[in-house]
Amino acid sequence: MKSLIRFALALGLGALAAVPAFADLKVATSLTDLASVAQFVGGKHVTAQSLCRGYEDPHFVPAKPRLMKAIQHADVFVSVGLELDSGWLPLVLPGSRNPKIQPGAKGFVDASEGVHVLEKPTAGVSRAAGDVHPLGNPHYYLDPKNLEVVADHLAEVFSRLDPANAAEYSANAKAFDEKMEASLEKWETAMAPYKGAAIVPYHKNFIYFIDRFGLKEFGNVEPKPGIPPSPHYINDLAEAMKKSGVKVVEYQPYYNADASNQVAKRAGGVSVEVASEVGGMPGTDDVFSKFDVLVSSLAGALSGKSGGQR
Amino acid sequence: MKLRTFACLSAALVCIPALATAQTSPMFSNLANPAIGMNALFSGQGAHNLDGAYGLQFDEAEISLISVVDPYWTFAGNIVFAPEEVDPEEVWVRSTSIPSLQLKLGKLRGTFGKHGLLHTHAFPFVQAPIVMANTIGEEGFKDAGAEAAWLTPLPWFSELTGGVYQAIPADGGQPLDFGSTQHDNVPFLGHFKNQFDLNDATTLEIGQSLLQGRGTDEHRHAAYGADVTVRNVPPRSSNQHGWILQSEYLQKGSRAGGSYAREQDGGYASFQYRLSQVWWVGIRGEQARKSFTDFLVDDTGASIAGKVNRGSVNVGWTPSEFSFVRLEYSHSKADAGVHPTDDRLMIQMSYTIGYHPAHAY
Repeated sequence: MKSLIRFALALGLGALAAVPAFADLKVATSLTDLASVAQFVGGKHVTAQSLCRGYEDPHFVPAKPRLMKAIQHADVFVSVGLELDSGWLPLVLPGSRNPKIQPGAKGFVDASEGVHVLEKPTAGVSRAAGDVHPLGNPHYYLDPKNLEVVADHLAEVFSRLDPANAAEYSANAKAFDEKMEASLEKWETAMAPYKGAAIVPYHKNFIYFIDRFGLKEFGNVEPKPGIPPSPHYINDLAEAMKKSGVKVVEYQPYYNADASNQVAKRAGGVSVEVASEVGGMPGTDDVFSKFDVLVSSLAGALSGKSGGQR
Repeated sequence: MKLRTFACLSAALVCIPALATAQTSPMFSNLANPAIGMNALFSGQGAHNLDGAYGLQFDEAEISLISVVDPYWTFAGNIVFAPEEVDPEEVWVRSTSIPSLQLKLGKLRGTFGKHGLLHTHAFPFVQAPIVMANTIGEEGFKDAGAEAAWLTPLPWFSELTGGVYQAIPADGGQPLDFGSTQHDNVPFLGHFKNQFDLNDATTLEIGQSLLQGRGTDEHRHAAYGADVTVRNVPPRSSNQHGWILQSEYLQKGSRAGGSYAREQDGGYASFQYRLSQVWWVGIRGEQARKSFTDFLVDDTGASIAGKVNRGSVNVGWTPSEFSFVRLEYSHSKADAGVHPTDDRLMIQMSYTIGYHPAHAY
């Protein structure tokens, strides 16, 4: 009997020793980019996970119960805000039964706070214009500068919730901003030859990148946000691109590649698949590598030297 | 003089909105108004056994309101306007501040089964399975009460729900008799739901449900349910492709003198397939025993019970998230009544405006 008790004790102690050290803050985010920034800012004191995967359309994340379970014990939830996740978050957040991360609680963060929002509707919002975002374009994470705002915001939140490590969060956010500034210089240099060039994104989700790097949006493969293109529309768009000399169509892994390829082919240009979100394509493991791949893919397509399907 | 009067009148008219704002805004604000949405359903059907008017008909309009009450509660209301009634289908508050537990109280749609949790415009087929109306209600079990849903500490999604409801007798939309007025008659519900990820895209959900209370005859009346759903949503095309395979069994019965008698039972199995962003197709087979349905009548036109097998196919077109049109055909066979078979063709249209909360996965 004694040996059995000893064995059980040893097993219990062994199991305890095998448990990894817990991070100070468990952070969940709606997007992979936000998880990447949160991990950088939080460092070893944070474990960050995203509910939406990088290759998943952030507008249409199925509100699986698994997501509720994943955030049942989270300390912080970072929403992308501007209603990008409003199709699924109102089910997932209450379903988690976690009072710490409900809107209004200390652990709920709207990452869009402080971001300069583009395409805010100036007149009334109507769904006759498609599935428009009434608070403005929510894809702000495609401007590297906006991620600096997010990093600073998260450092404040983490410091408030975990004051013991506040200095580290602040230093990490500063390091993030510095790294982003240095990277931005590199990306701006790579994109400089294409200033003023027009491109055709599949969805209206690229305006922040376009604005930052001096490109122009000629149109979208979707006739209106959320509305799939008809053959007639594809033809008209391709004709208009041909007339204006626009050659590049870009789309994300979760959009209809066939429609994008058809438009590019008929316009005599190229279509290029790019990741808007971290993890959307191979080699996009954090926000820095995402922009590396994005800039290189688009610069390649705009130069005519490389790119996707012709 | 006329010009001066006109100028004064114009100035007054210009000032009215400013005055109104100045007077009302310090006291009354609409900034915390609830999110409001409305859905309307229209349909038309052709069925040779039905003695009713043909043509397009208005089925219902549902107004939904949802808002945060305070740091502890969220409020939701669904008021349904149908041609012959106005039904406060759901009016409830839900707790937001209790770890791992969610309390819900008010007029509820009881957490029973799978199909019974759906709003009419979210039904996968125009017609609800026949067994629904014969066991817990065509649109599920709806009653005033309170539920507690506990998210268990198991590593997968595992939810245990318990509920108690007002004692109400059976009526047109509620086939369960819980109408005993004895003080110890508290109809109660139990529901256990588990969901597992089979892979990146596919989930398996298994649910069991129980609903029990005492009837006006002082006997125990109960409903039992079991459901299995396998759902596939490819993450790279969540808005374009996917399928749902779902099956559910329901039974209603009563216990008198120590012996249980099964009254009505049946089930269905359905498969829905998403062809593209805008096109869905579906097929369903079902059986309902000792059940009533609209074409099951005797030669005097009175409703009678029988065994009914029904097969349905449909195709849906959803040009946007906010509207759809569905075309559906069903063929039924019955072992009683003057119509051994029934064929019908249906069309249904749904339109939504304003805020509409996402449907449960």
